[in-house]
Amino acid sequence: MAFYPILSAPGCNGHTTLYNFPPNNWEDTRKESRCVNLTWAEDGAWRSVALCELDFGAMQAFTRANVAAYVPDDALALLSLATAPYPERCASLPKAMSGSDMPNWRATLGLSSPLASTCYQGELDPFPVPGSLLTFAPFIQFGAGVENYMLFLNLEKHPQMRTATVGIYDGAKPARCLGSSEVRNNAVSVVSLDGLGLGPKDLPVVICKGMSGIPLYFSKTVDGACLSLEHTHPPAAHVIHGKRWEAQRLLKTEWFARLGRE
Amino acid sequence: MKRYFERLRRTAWSYRQPLTHVPTATRATVSDLFVWRVSSDWETFFELIDMPGLFASAEGTAAKVMLVFFDANGQFILEKMVKIQPNRRNTLAISKIVGSGHGESGTFSVFHSHTPPSVYAFGSHLAERGYVSYRYRNAPLRAYVHGNLDAVARMPDQSLQLLGGRSFLGREYNLQHLLVSNSAYELGIVNPSTRAQRIECRGLYADGKLCTSQSVDLAPKGCHLFKVTPEYAQQRIVIRSRLVMARPLVFRIQNQKMDVFHG
Repeated sequence: MAFYPILSAPGCNGHTTLYNFPPNNWEDTRKESRCVNLTWAEDGAWRSVALCELDFGAMQAFTRANVAAYVPDDALALLSLATAPYPERCASLPKAMSGSDMPNWRATLGLSSPLASTCYQGELDPFPVPGSLLTFAPFIQFGAGVENYMLFLNLEKHPQMRTATVGIYDGAKPARCLGSSEVRNNAVSVVSLDGLGLGPKDLPVVICKGMSGIPLYFSKTVDGACLSLEHTHPPAAHVIHGKRWEAQRLLKTEWFARLGRE
Repeated sequence: MKRYFERLRRTAWSYRQPLTHVPTATRATVSDLFVWRVSSDWETFFELIDMPGLFASAEGTAAKVMLVFFDANGQFILEKMVKIQPNRRNTLAISKIVGSGHGESGTFSVFHSHTPPSVYAFGSHLAERGYVSYRYRNAPLRAYVHGNLDAVARMPDQSLQLLGGRSFLGREYNLQHLLVSNSAYELGIVNPSTRAQRIECRGLYADGKLCTSQSVDLAPKGCHLFKVTPEYAQQRIVIRSRLVMARPLVFRIQNQKMDVFHG
């Protein structure tokens, strides 16, 4: 079973709802209470604390305020379900319990402003290191008072902090990088997508050659009355069956060579 | 011994019951069965990218993409060929293409012209799982949701093949989402299989007791929106069917604001 982060974004608070029941009736038939563990990276180690126990069938929402007593402001709060509490301190990310595959065992990951909320069903597994990212992102919205962000969500097994650079390009004019931003591992890094000169017909291409992550696209009206949140697919999702990861490798090789080349 | 029985138990759920069948033609392209909504309150859009062009190293020319529309009963409505430029964003106003007179919801698929040779060399098919957005009551922002169901293949002879797997045993999709009493929900289900499916949407209280139950017989390529409004208490949803994975599309409306996501 994966980890479930509490998200953060400009002008919004994150909330994550955990479910102690499987997403189907045939993969995981255990009906047992599970421990809610909170995990975060601090001082070069993974720290964990058991928050509570969820009875089978129970659902419970957690906000940043619920974990503020444990998690430093700049650390990503990770929730997970397990049969027992994790060790208080680990050099490698604790192994979360295995759950289901069709679909994955998910939580509701959401963002709320005082006037609206948005969410998606998600989970977060540790990415390989160093990893890389390529994605095509037609999610920028336009209009007066509309703000657009990419929330780069990363988790790795090791708690030591490292950074990488995200580059944003126009797919039709791949030679010039329109903007770059530093992102951090084991964190939600906020990247503004406004002011890059991208218009409604331009296809933003987002790459990161040194880190994998889930690219979440978050749009909001400046007053927070309207919110939108969704992630784009990794390249492997553009094909089905066969050697999908080879197709992903091909697409990354092709685009990494094409982008930034005069 | 325990492992053996567990493997045997799982076999009953997996033997010859794939989530998605393999298209019978090597060069077929695949699409999700997306949900369109058209009414005075709802508009639907699709973000179309020239996907074969993403795999081409040379500058491409305009690509052709076929959109195929069905009504809620899975009946063919229309198809439309659109030309798009490579490496550009093409936001299609799906509601305007469907127009009025076909109901307020239905399904559509998006087929690219071909699977690139470099992709079928891997034994793969190009799959359109792209991005639909919905606008509710002229809101300043659209709400996006990605596709995740490889539902329909278009063959080289232009015929369609439904790819959704069916289960021997009745399955439950336990939506891992808490339905709250100050929101109204509509749960969209599509049928990507070749046979009509009985779909039951059960609302459970937090303690697991049944509070509502709705059923529909869903034709292949059809869709249905179950309306759920938890009035007094928190609820969760269980979808019963013989689809291998009856994952709903969830529309949530709260204070006149709409959010959409996959279950």
